Amino acid sequence: MNVQIIGQMAVSGALMGLVYALIAYGFQLTYATSKSINFGQGELVMVSAFFSLTLTNLGLPYWAMIPGGLLFGALMGLIVERAAVRLALEQKSEGWILLTIILGLFFFSSAENIWGRDDRPFPTPISADPIHVLGVDVTRLELSVAVGVIAIMGAIELFKRRTLLGKAFEAVSADRDAAELMGISATRTVMLSYALSGAVAALAGILVSPITTVGPTMASALILKAFSVAVVAGLDSGFGVVLIGMCLGALESLASFYLGSGWREAPGLVLLILALALRPNGVFGKATIRKV
Amino acid sequence: MSRQIVQGSLLLCAALGLQAGDTVKLALTGPFSGGSAPMGVSTRDGAKLAIAEINAAGGIQVGGRKMKIEIIERDDEAKNERGALIAQELAAMGDLSGVIGTVNTGVCLAGDKHLQEKGITKIICPAAGSASMTQWANKPDRAGVKDLSIFRFAAHDGIQSAMVVEEAINRHFTKVAVIFDSTNYGVSGRDDMLDQIKKQGNKLTVVAQEKFNIGDKDMTAQLLRAKSAGAQAVLIWAIGPELAAVSNGMAKIGMKAPLIGGWTLSMSNYIDNAGKNGNGTLMPQTFIEEPITPKAKAFIDGYHLTYKVGRIPSAVAAAQGYDAVYIFAAAVKQAGSTDTHKIKEALEDLKEPVKGVIATWNHPYTKWDPADVTTHEAFRREQAVMGMVQDGHVVFGNAADKARLIKEAAGTTPKAAKPTTKPAAKPKTK
Amino acid sequence: MKRILLLRGAELIVFACLATIPLLVVNPYALGLLTLLAIYGILLIGLDVTVGYLGQVNLGHVAFLGLGAYTAGLVVTKLGLGMGPALLAAMAVGLLLGGLLALPALRLEGPQFALATLSFAALSTTALNELESLTGGAQGLSLSRPPVFGHVLTPPLFYWLCMALLAVVWMLMRNLLASQWGRAFEALRDSPIATDAMGVGTYRHKVAAFALGSGLGGLAGGLYAFNFQYLQPQSFTYDLMIILLLGVVLGGRKSLWGAFVGSSVIVLLPNLLSNRHLFQIFSGLGFAAALAAGLRGLAKQTTRPFQALAPVVAMGLLVVGGFLVENTEDWRKAIFALMLFSVVVGLPEGLMGFLSHFLARLFRVPHAPLPEPSALEDVLPSRPADGAPLLVLEDLKRHFGGVKAVDGLSVSVQSGAIHGLIGPNGSGKSTVVNVISGLYTPSSGRVLLRGSALPTGSLFRVARAGVARTFQNLQLFGELTALENVMVALKGVYRSPLPMVLFGLGRAEERRARADALALLNLIGLRGQALNKAKDLTYGAQRFLEIARALARKPDLLILDEPAAGLAHPDVLQQIEIIKRVHQRGITIILIEHHMDVVSELCSTVTVLDGGKVIAEGAPDEVKRHPKVVEAYLGQPPQPASPESDPQPGGPAPQPA
Repeated sequence: MNVQIIGQMAVSGALMGLVYALIAYGFQLTYATSKSINFGQGELVMVSAFFSLTLTNLGLPYWAMIPGGLLFGALMGLIVERAAVRLALEQKSEGWILLTIILGLFFFSSAENIWGRDDRPFPTPISADPIHVLGVDVTRLELSVAVGVIAIMGAIELFKRRTLLGKAFEAVSADRDAAELMGISATRTVMLSYALSGAVAALAGILVSPITTVGPTMASALILKAFSVAVVAGLDSGFGVVLIGMCLGALESLASFYLGSGWREAPGLVLLILALALRPNGVFGKATIRKV
Repeated sequence: MSRQIVQGSLLLCAALGLQAGDTVKLALTGPFSGGSAPMGVSTRDGAKLAIAEINAAGGIQVGGRKMKIEIIERDDEAKNERGALIAQELAAMGDLSGVIGTVNTGVCLAGDKHLQEKGITKIICPAAGSASMTQWANKPDRAGVKDLSIFRFAAHDGIQSAMVVEEAINRHFTKVAVIFDSTNYGVSGRDDMLDQIKKQGNKLTVVAQEKFNIGDKDMTAQLLRAKSAGAQAVLIWAIGPELAAVSNGMAKIGMKAPLIGGWTLSMSNYIDNAGKNGNGTLMPQTFIEEPITPKAKAFIDGYHLTYKVGRIPSAVAAAQGYDAVYIFAAAVKQAGSTDTHKIKEALEDLKEPVKGVIATWNHPYTKWDPADVTTHEAFRREQAVMGMVQDGHVVFGNAADKARLIKEAAGTTPKAAKPTTKPAAKPKTK
Repeated sequence: MKRILLLRGAELIVFACLATIPLLVVNPYALGLLTLLAIYGILLIGLDVTVGYLGQVNLGHVAFLGLGAYTAGLVVTKLGLGMGPALLAAMAVGLLLGGLLALPALRLEGPQFALATLSFAALSTTALNELESLTGGAQGLSLSRPPVFGHVLTPPLFYWLCMALLAVVWMLMRNLLASQWGRAFEALRDSPIATDAMGVGTYRHKVAAFALGSGLGGLAGGLYAFNFQYLQPQSFTYDLMIILLLGVVLGGRKSLWGAFVGSSVIVLLPNLLSNRHLFQIFSGLGFAAALAAGLRGLAKQTTRPFQALAPVVAMGLLVVGGFLVENTEDWRKAIFALMLFSVVVGLPEGLMGFLSHFLARLFRVPHAPLPEPSALEDVLPSRPADGAPLLVLEDLKRHFGGVKAVDGLSVSVQSGAIHGLIGPNGSGKSTVVNVISGLYTPSSGRVLLRGSALPTGSLFRVARAGVARTFQNLQLFGELTALENVMVALKGVYRSPLPMVLFGLGRAEERRARADALALLNLIGLRGQALNKAKDLTYGAQRFLEIARALARKPDLLILDEPAAGLAHPDVLQQIEIIKRVHQRGITIILIEHHMDVVSELCSTVTVLDGGKVIAEGAPDEVKRHPKVVEAYLGQPPQPASPESDPQPGGPAPQPA
């Protein structure tokens, strides 16, 4: 029984952890090109989920709704880039931290008033009935999250490696100034990265909503963990977030089982502070050489 | 800068104070944003519905003339410090007749003292845990207040937890899990339930006590522990959508035990999000959204029409807000004054029965006695029924209750009648 | 004198007005708001230390408010102590935990710092909630104000207590922030590397600043507890944190007045929003102001179009929304967001930053007068050269992975010399400098200063040992004035302990520091621009200022990393002149330079590097003709037998600016 419970806890935690990883991946995309992240990413997840819900309520089938939701997320990402990030980057200031927080606040309040303050169910054709695998209960819904996460991360990585635009992306990530000298517009690449990041956030919203329901506060707990995952893994760690995300999710579940459910968040937070102190660049991050 | 502030605050006070005159000023407070907003908003909207009806009929007869009710609306955001500031603001107004509202116990604890200091009449509605009233009562280490201007209009947690425990016993369960959220409401609900289990003869064994935080969506850990301890039923006390996560989590791990808990289980954010997993959930209710009486039908239709909804987000809260306004209006009429102190005295001795949607209120309050908080509690066990979730709606969990209410409304002996003289003679529910 | 009169006068008037209000107005609500204003004032002054002076987005301040509040509450309820000890304990907890959190957060910048503090805040809420036996958990903690000298404080008395504490905090912080401590905090924000390299120490100042800010947060928490007399963990969450940031940013960073204005905004805003007409008036005014400022900025071309237009759009939304939206309170957060957005984009210095310029012009507030410079001999006593080796590098190596940036270097620098270090790009010059100055730890080998080992791997300790350096990519403290840049680095002047500084007893040494710094500015010809911000100086002047700042360390050895890089010809000549003047004071100099004429003009000995190794050494003229040198620079081997003929590109040394 005990082993089974540990297994169950670890598996369902790890599957949730994949959602953290996906949001964390969104941070990586923008960090690579601009060394900035959207502190209001949670609100992007939430707003996109609400928008997708509206599409579904308008009668769009599930599979047709997904691209709509992703496009909306990308658009919101572009708005964040234009309104909150670009100016600060041009001035080489860290104003973007505050500005993205502010923009998130604005999205939050708007969503509260447009879509209401209540949590609402998110219809999905995927069944939530459990299936038994090796004595562990997993729902198809949870498996769909895992598939979706891996699929979009794989697609974006392929895009970065195989297409010209993707290579421009990689070039700006590697050396912004040099890429600009080669005629690649860094501004456009940063826009692209924010659009991708927004789309990733939207997908996270669409995937997780059937499990957690949609509501203005749906992402506030998620986002803190996504931050932890991104930082513990390293903001340039690529697929490292998947591993860390799953570990953190499992750890969290086990902590809430053994320490008491109130302490659920604690290991992630402690881990984050420790990781920041010991390896500021993350477990899988590359160490940077200080230059003067 | 300081001059600006002084001017600003004076300006504000002036702006708020200028319109004194021929209205009854009634403040509606509560969380209109944030997690407990559905309750706050439903109460406010139910209250506004009653106010609109009263005003449409020309207002309240105060002394020789009719006076309309003027609403002062304040969102406490479910935050204690906002609640405290709002209470200070209301207390300083000078010509305020009363306050109706507040969902969160913490807000009551932080703010009501300012109202009590000035003797401003407040009817706490729709919820707030026991502490919101017991803070004024006698405690082992100190005496309570002698005179109290705070009333409550809600089926307090004592009644509800008694019903929850009773229901579990009636259904012949012996092992139960107690699950609660980490808010003030959840934790005091847990204490009340454990207390009731003891009082009702320890017929239930609590095999697991589990807690979760606001915003938690994954309850697997708590439920697995409850399941492996062999719980036959889950007694739950929490606010908001996390309740649905519990229901869904139980379905996921294949735990087939009924959920019995506080009245928040009737809120739309539970019913909708739990979907079919919510069927069979039991909770005490003061009002069930079924047009079983003409009065209830008028109220339900009025609410649906005015706020363009097909279902009241929290029918209990809305009905309580609605009835609270009528009781308050009756007190104003009896006092023949907009003076909040006179209204308080009238409330403590309401002569005429007030017809509400929940019940006909006969002398709901009596003179405050610090040894007995029920003097300022309107609800008794009789006004509450067991509700059950059935396919997206709350229905009567017990057909006998429904029949009783219909019969009562038809005008045969009102059951809630109480002796109107001495508080000592009152039926004790706690 | 007029300046002091105006500034202190304004403070006195405001505090006097605030103190008399309870005597005039008997409105408990107004009094409640004013009490909160004082408490938030203290809180925001604390937050401003990290957000304004350290320039870091601190999302953990709210935790210290909560921890302070709970400490005070527990001291009163569990230990039965009075209000004084409770407030002291609250502050102590803030100081201690702030210092502790600063340790891991030390190495972090920007987003990582924000995240670490955010996590700390979340963790402390969890702890307050879960330690039910101690804090009462979610049920909250009720307390009452314990009597002070037998009297329970009435609301006016408690208000006066809060105001008095705000006044004290105000005074102490004003003294502290105007001292070397305040300058060090700002220096840290602009360039942590230079802060260390100037021997100021990022470590203790960052910890001190964070602990100090958190201590004030704790104190404010104590007052908060006695004000509300009921505490719950969920009062101290992210929501409140955002509001606090709003206060600091809106009011104006790096300003006590800004914190005060910000706290007024926070306290009054909810009232503003609940009155529709008032809200419409204020949003209209805001729109007009944004429009005027935007148009003015565009006309004068001082702002970018986005900076001018975005606030107008945001405030426009606010005005339109004010008429469309039924209940403004429902949109409270969006309104906050729009206001904040306008201010952050349009008025980066906040309301007070903007107003203070305006007021300074209106009342013609003069700058503080500059003292006469000290005699140069007192600041930088000339020392005789003894000709002994001052710095010796023994088989120094520094490898980055497989790249051998410095590969077995042995050089000896004579005391009193100007020793040139040249070589093609990527030859390892900059790496050598970075190893000597402590930025990099050597892979192997020794660095000796006057025969004893120089500390390695710490800019700070090397700087303290008597080695000063300049930076090829300028590392000035941009927001500080030229004078302050030099004052920050000044060695041997600041001796007053912290308590004396707090009580304003360090003024004498402050005057001395100004005079000394002026003398150094005089030496490089920047005395006339002493009060200009470093970022506003010309490029040439910035290069000169780097040298003056390094001289403030009164170093035995001065390392100049490409001091003439990017300079126009007249500036190069002036730079040569400056270096000669410095040399005359008897200071040993290592000069890394690309301009051969500069090297020939100044250096007595030149070491040529290539591929991390010495390829030649001697007088400039000899070295220039050395075949290996010619080969390294021109890439054409005069003799075909040379093994390492190509200069290695792509080494870790950065490209010259």
